[in-house]
Amino acid sequence: MKHLKPANTKAELFTKAAEEGREDEVRLMQTMVGCTASLDPGWEVDAFGGISALCQPMEADLYGCADPCWWPAQVADTLNTYPDWNAKAPAAQRDWRKLQSVFPEDS
Amino acid sequence: MTIFSRLAASFVVALCVGLAGALPAQAKDFIVTGVKPNKLVVIDARARKVVNTFTIPKAAPGPVTITTSPDGKIAYVIVNRWESVSGIDLETGKQVFRADLSGGDERVKIMFGMDVSPDGKELALFESPVTLGLGEYKVKPSRISFYDTATSKRLRTIPAPRQVTILAYSKDGTKLYGMGRALFVIDPTDGKIIKEHKTQAWTRPNFAPPDILDVWSQFEQAGVFSTPYYTAQTNKKPEDPTGYWTGILTLNLSTGEFKMKDVENTDIFYFSTVVSPTNPNIVFGVYNNLAKLDIEKGKSVGRVDLDHSYYDINISTDGTEVYVGGTMSDITVYSADKLKKLGKIQMPRGANMAISSMRIFQR
Repeated sequence: MKHLKPANTKAELFTKAAEEGREDEVRLMQTMVGCTASLDPGWEVDAFGGISALCQPMEADLYGCADPCWWPAQVADTLNTYPDWNAKAPAAQRDWRKLQSVFPEDS
Repeated sequence: MTIFSRLAASFVVALCVGLAGALPAQAKDFIVTGVKPNKLVVIDARARKVVNTFTIPKAAPGPVTITTSPDGKIAYVIVNRWESVSGIDLETGKQVFRADLSGGDERVKIMFGMDVSPDGKELALFESPVTLGLGEYKVKPSRISFYDTATSKRLRTIPAPRQVTILAYSKDGTKLYGMGRALFVIDPTDGKIIKEHKTQAWTRPNFAPPDILDVWSQFEQAGVFSTPYYTAQTNKKPEDPTGYWTGILTLNLSTGEFKMKDVENTDIFYFSTVVSPTNPNIVFGVYNNLAKLDIEKGKSVGRVDLDHSYYDINISTDGTEVYVGGTMSDITVYSADKLKKLGKIQMPRGANMAISSMRIFQR
């Protein structure tokens, strides 16, 4: 680390925080603040530390969570930018293979 | 038989025939729900049969909250990325009401909260507006707007607390209840907060503030709004399972009576609940289980596992059948007494109900 220098303000702040021991601890998501904060819908733990209180199967909850932007980073944003993301896949448990990645369009 | 008695008998027969002719046929329960991406589905509950599937114009990604007019003729549905409400005639399928809320540099979302006034003339919507700038979004104060159901025009707007997810009119139409960080009693004419039933800010000794997540409206059968809440005793060790509690919040839409009652230690969750129209002490809750809860005695009186998760629950007018729906592609019917599975209704083309409401009306 001695040979690395922060190149911008943000990096400088990180370096300073590390030197002062103020780094936030990354903790396992295990509280009832929503369906998931992990990167894959369905890969999470419930409020009891298990999985039986999660939606069963995951596909039952896919659109109920995706459409209200409950998983804004993990699935397409149907609430604003990609309203038709799942239009051709009306049954998640049957049509999930039709769900595709989305990319920003050229403006 | 004398002439008089014959005349009298004829009169009685004529009266009975006349009365029979004047009485409407036995009203039946119909379930109305939405499926992705743009369909409104009407189901004959007893026949377990889909009787109509209507297309809602410009509805993607799908229907959300549904509320029916008091006469059961129109279903108002939040659609179009939560930015529009479409009113669909439940017999013809025609769109008879449309309010598109976003316009210009303002984007407006209706996050679940919607109800029709008891006289059917006004539609109340909880709106979350944002101004879209070139490089930033500016969040504006939340509000409740009232629309004329006859003309689709906005009549007035009142200020409203943030994070309200459910709107429900009192039976006499003089109050509008909003479920958010508290249960607010709102004057629908000017937005004045008449009363605030504390939930998150309650001061119950040795109990943590309760969590409430309620986005499914289903209070039409008993005239009582209900929602589950979850709390924990702060004077017990975190690892003690007897310190965690599930309770039921109820609000009687006729009398305004508000109650919160613990019913069981939390070992499962409920996404939504419905009160029995024949016994106001009995509440049914649904998620991965279907449960029957007695809120007078404060205990669970029955529970069964479900085939998969369900968001919505509703109940027949006679209180004998419970319907669970939402999430996937079926509504499953259970007996209210023993929670015995009675039948299953598949949605057209197997489409998901997802987060759509499941309401009941009669005709």
